[in-house]
Amino acid sequence: MVQRPDWAPETIDIERPSVARMYDYYLGGSHNFAVDRAAAQAMIAAVPEAPLMAQANRAFLRRAVQFLLDAGVRQFLDIGSGIPTVGNVHEIATRSAPDARVVYVDTDPVAVAHSREILRGNPSATVIQEDLRRPAEILAHPELRRLLDFSEPIAVMIVAVLHFVPDSDDPAGIIATLRRTLPPGSYLVLSQASADGRATDEEKREAERVYRNTDNPLTVRSRTALTALFDGFDLVDPGVVWVPEWRPDSPDAAEHAAQSAFIGGVGRLGE
Amino acid sequence: MSEGEVPDRAGDFARAWAKAVSGTSYLPMTQAQLEAFLQRLTVRLAGALRAEPFDLRVGYQVGADLVAAHIASAEGLGRTVEVIHLRLLRDLGLVESDVQDRMARLLASVATGYARALRDRTLDEQESIRRAGMLARAEAERALRESEARFRHQATHDPLTDLPNRTLFTERLTGAIRDPQEGRDRVGLCFMDLDRFKVVNDTLGHQIGDRLLVSVADRLRRSVGEHLVARLGGDEFVILVEGTECTDDVVKVADAALAAVGESALVDGHELTVSASIGIVERPVAGTTPGDLMRAADITLHWAKGAGGAQWALFDPDRNEREMTRYALSAAIPAALERGEFYLDYQPLTSLVHGGVLGVEALVRWRHPQLGVLRPDSFIGLAEETGLIVELGGWVLAEACREAGRWSEVTPSAPFISVNLAVRQVHAAGLVDEVSALLERTGLPPQRLQLEITESTMMSTAEEPVRALRVLSDLGVRIAIDDFGTGYSNLAYLRDLPVDELKLAGSFVTGLRAPADDPASRTDERILASLVSLAHALDLTVTAEGVETPAQAERLRAIGCDAAQGWHFGRPAPAERILERLR
Repeated sequence: MVQRPDWAPETIDIERPSVARMYDYYLGGSHNFAVDRAAAQAMIAAVPEAPLMAQANRAFLRRAVQFLLDAGVRQFLDIGSGIPTVGNVHEIATRSAPDARVVYVDTDPVAVAHSREILRGNPSATVIQEDLRRPAEILAHPELRRLLDFSEPIAVMIVAVLHFVPDSDDPAGIIATLRRTLPPGSYLVLSQASADGRATDEEKREAERVYRNTDNPLTVRSRTALTALFDGFDLVDPGVVWVPEWRPDSPDAAEHAAQSAFIGGVGRLGE
Repeated sequence: MSEGEVPDRAGDFARAWAKAVSGTSYLPMTQAQLEAFLQRLTVRLAGALRAEPFDLRVGYQVGADLVAAHIASAEGLGRTVEVIHLRLLRDLGLVESDVQDRMARLLASVATGYARALRDRTLDEQESIRRAGMLARAEAERALRESEARFRHQATHDPLTDLPNRTLFTERLTGAIRDPQEGRDRVGLCFMDLDRFKVVNDTLGHQIGDRLLVSVADRLRRSVGEHLVARLGGDEFVILVEGTECTDDVVKVADAALAAVGESALVDGHELTVSASIGIVERPVAGTTPGDLMRAADITLHWAKGAGGAQWALFDPDRNEREMTRYALSAAIPAALERGEFYLDYQPLTSLVHGGVLGVEALVRWRHPQLGVLRPDSFIGLAEETGLIVELGGWVLAEACREAGRWSEVTPSAPFISVNLAVRQVHAAGLVDEVSALLERTGLPPQRLQLEITESTMMSTAEEPVRALRVLSDLGVRIAIDDFGTGYSNLAYLRDLPVDELKLAGSFVTGLRAPADDPASRTDERILASLVSLAHALDLTVTAEGVETPAQAERLRAIGCDAAQGWHFGRPAPAERILERLR
């Protein structure tokens, strides 16, 4: 019998915007409801670059996965994976490494149900419904333990999610819990929204207002704060940067990088 | 232009195209991959512009392929149309005569193919997210139902044995009675309780006791089939038997349950065998209530326990009625005492030697406002059970002494008053003080008070009552043994006790009513004769009770009995009648 996690909502309220479906909308997908589109459009009205930010972040994810594959990583734990829309980790990974295994984790029941449909019959990828704020439960989940081998390096992806975890939920503690369980040679990929260098506070306020109506209010972080969350990991070059600047495909792709409003980086857990 | 030139020129165009569409939506590929992809499309578009006849399907397919590669936004189409229109002919050096017409038709077909694919993709994605929404909702509802079911189970089951608890049982019983299913117009209950379970708890500990309960619960569950077994608490279980046809249907269940409980069980290395008692009630659902049924089962369980346990008892409405009446009567005694509903009748004890009245026995009566005059056998037993006998007996003693005190005013040779003392009165502290105070208050000489106690009173080895009786005897109060010969007749107490008189039980005297040559009658007579000679040998006087005929009186006199009491010598009568007789 599948135990319902005790934090899960008792009913699914698709009348409330979901950050996962809003993100899908920014990326040009149609896996969203009217309420998500309305919230996303309000966000775009406040921050017109929002879709570009999402795209830049998604491109960062793609390059980071490719980097990890090239580094020999074959196991991925994508926490806060959202709606499995274009360019999922398992699509990118299995294209160049058919033996790659991917575990998706999300707290949004609709996103999980959708992922489950997409992954049906896929032996090397699975999805579990859990909350990033419960890392111990994630790591102990039987489905995860079935697929991932903790004697081999694992890449933990927390991409475009940490801005939904306020400091009061102890993100450093969450990452420390993950780090203690990961084998040496594992990687941590983080990216999140940042207000560094943004012209006005008004944008930030407006963005926060939009996300207050979701289940996930927004917490932007500075580059320094995000760098601190890599504690215990060795940051891979170029460190924590605007996501378009992180190992771009071509030099001009990193132009106007600060407009992406997303900072990110990759860290490696030493031997 | 040769075919070989096309890829290079197509490469220039594809780079421009890639630049135009990048950023219109998220593209899961590198810029180089995008350019390579668009270059392949460019070659196909160029082919279409040259082909004879013109084939719309190439444009449709290119549009669809763009969408499939996630170049799937309104801006993506707009910029594609723009870049093809502005640059394709020029970059590829296409100069055919009708090229403008062909270009228009090509753009139309690309836009059509693109729009169709985008619509299909949008609909597919909408459908899939809706389905995910429904799945998630169904999953959440299933989880909610499960947690509700779990909660409901916890609320309706006993955590120790996992049997249904009182709540569920009451629900089911109420349902069976208030809303009976077709053909289920009778219902039965087995109310069960383990015999001496407390001993297990006290000697082996609660942990073993609990495990024994779990084992008993398992055996019950197994033995009673489809019937509901519930644990009400402690070692109380109840089985609901719905749709019975007769009492026997429930008796069978009770037999099965008793057999199952009686199996010995190994609990924590202890071989434990327990028995149980069951109260059975079975009746039509019409006209009963869950409360009635449970009360009846509870009462019946006590009958089974009272009969020694390890058995079932059947509810008996007549017995219940009698017990209810008895209970009501006993509850009414204190108020009746207060309201003066008790009074005394008096019956003479007559000398068989000279026919004079030696003594008078005081007999209590209850003038019950609804039931009329009640004789002691209908309420003394109750008063003894409840302890009210001490108060009632005290009143009888006081009233009898008060009455007897008046008799000396009438005659100098007034008879003694004989009063029954119950066991509890004899055992009560303060009996001596109570009697002494009475004698003083009424002026009755101690010699004129006789206290009748039963043999069973003396069966107790307690010293205190014996000492009290001895003190009273030393005062001069007479002590008589009532109903002598019917108890255990352990004669040892006659040696230790200050007894003055034996009152022989009426059952021996009854035998004397038969003709003297009847063998049974002769036996009774011989027993009586032996008892009389035993009494006389111990210097005790003998009074025979229940003497109803002159013949009985004559035979008693012949065997040397000192006195007699019974209808032949005078029925119990009010005080005034005794006074008249003494005058």
